[in-house]
Amino acid sequence: MSAEPYEHDRATQLQDVPIPYDPDADEELIMHLERDQLVAETFRPVPRAELGRRAAIGLWALRIFVVLVSAMVIYTFMAGLH
Amino acid sequence: MSLSEATASPLLRQPLLSDEDTARSRDRSRVHHARYNNRRWRLLWLLVGPGILAMLGENDGPSMIAYASDGAQYGLGFFVPVIPILFAMAYVVQEMCMRVGAVTHRGYGELVLQRHGRVWGWFGAGDLCLTNLVTLIAEFVAIRVGLAYFHLGPGVAVALGLVLVLFTLSGGRYWRWERTVLGLALFNGLFLVAAILVKPHVGSIVSSFSFTPLPGGSLNTLLLLMASTIGATVTPWMIFFQQSASADKGMTPKDVRHGRYDTALGAVLAGVFGVGALIAGAALLNHGLGIQGFAGAGFPAALSHVAGGAVGTVFALGLIEAGAVAILTISASTAYAAGECVGVSHSFNTSPRNAAVFYAANVGVSLLAGLVILIPGAPLLSIALNANVLATVLLPVSLVFVLMLANDRPLMGRWANRRSTNVVGIAVIVFVSICGAAYGIDSFLQSVHIIGS
Repeated sequence: MSAEPYEHDRATQLQDVPIPYDPDADEELIMHLERDQLVAETFRPVPRAELGRRAAIGLWALRIFVVLVSAMVIYTFMAGLH
Repeated sequence: MSLSEATASPLLRQPLLSDEDTARSRDRSRVHHARYNNRRWRLLWLLVGPGILAMLGENDGPSMIAYASDGAQYGLGFFVPVIPILFAMAYVVQEMCMRVGAVTHRGYGELVLQRHGRVWGWFGAGDLCLTNLVTLIAEFVAIRVGLAYFHLGPGVAVALGLVLVLFTLSGGRYWRWERTVLGLALFNGLFLVAAILVKPHVGSIVSSFSFTPLPGGSLNTLLLLMASTIGATVTPWMIFFQQSASADKGMTPKDVRHGRYDTALGAVLAGVFGVGALIAGAALLNHGLGIQGFAGAGFPAALSHVAGGAVGTVFALGLIEAGAVAILTISASTAYAAGECVGVSHSFNTSPRNAAVFYAANVGVSLLAGLVILIPGAPLLSIALNANVLATVLLPVSLVFVLMLANDRPLMGRWANRRSTNVVGIAVIVFVSICGAAYGIDSFLQSVHIIGS
């Protein structure tokens, strides 16, 4: 039956007990992850985005929107608490 | 010798595989086997999770009470078709989050911080933590409302929420956390059961898709209703959660198609269950019963009085479930945001010892919210109502950055948004921003008594 090797394999992989060191097993495990998925890679920061003029203006507008509306929300929230 | 030490590179003296990598690669190996052996249903089973959890997590206690209140006050017309439309909008946003997470393997918080600077990164995280704390308080209140129907007090509500958080965190694996919460989330279907039990008139449900009758009252009332319903459908925590969970699950660009199925399935289920709550609530229409809402066991008790004890019981159980699942998903989104912004380990696949900030934020925010509802005389109603104001008003910021990240070609490559996605995405942002800003401004003007309520 074709499913048997798979089930056996799956049962082996699902064990949560510490795996004895086996370089081949490590090799197989690492093959299931993409390189940029490794924790060491994801902790490497991506560079800052270079924004165009329109995007920069849009973000400044967003900043102003946030400051104004946040002030209103905080006031409303405090008034609501009282 | 631990696995990490065993696989250390002798040249770089740095572990190639951390314990988090090992746990994730085991999950991925099952995905690879299912894909290789062409086991389609198993592949789907393995890859669903973040989308359903984000959508059903947003069908939280306050949202379900909001839907039921809409039904009780205005009947089925207008809101029955509006809820599916709002979840379609939520799908557009959440699909982008899933895609960015799968392609970059990074959470929303860390990408905003790294690509757009510390100000926006910390603002997003701060906004999220504040709104999450307030929303979590509302979730504990919803559980308390449900439990009050069974004559149980707030202490039980807090204990239940915290035990669930600790239990789901105890496995040390993302997979276990996801499956436990997923199993619990499916009980959101109790609202559909409640809708069936009230024996609604099918013809009136069908005719409600004509968007009539429109809710009565002033423009302000309609605006507030729309904004609060949007706030019950798309929120900042969903954005943080789905992107980070997709990365934590180990999704890759190959899984984007299944991520879309997952998100769409979540949207459909959440829409159906939300409409279920609305239909159940509509049983109270024209009965003139005062709904005490958050103050006590008002809603389930009113339903029990009008539609029978079974409906009240099912609705109360639904509220407990909705609150519980939201506590788990919202505290997880807070933990992801905290870990990502501080720049430390942020994964369910890491042990508490190696991800102290992640686990502390997860438990701490739930504990803090739980303690608030135990304070005698705390203004819970005010807190619960303002949770939606905060979430809705600050939502446009999160949406803008989701759209920017999904369009970031150096980051996303060929997985960046297509023009059609951008058109729909921008329309969603504009719509939500207008409703959210109008809601915030309207609330402010009412609080300073410039306009009447």
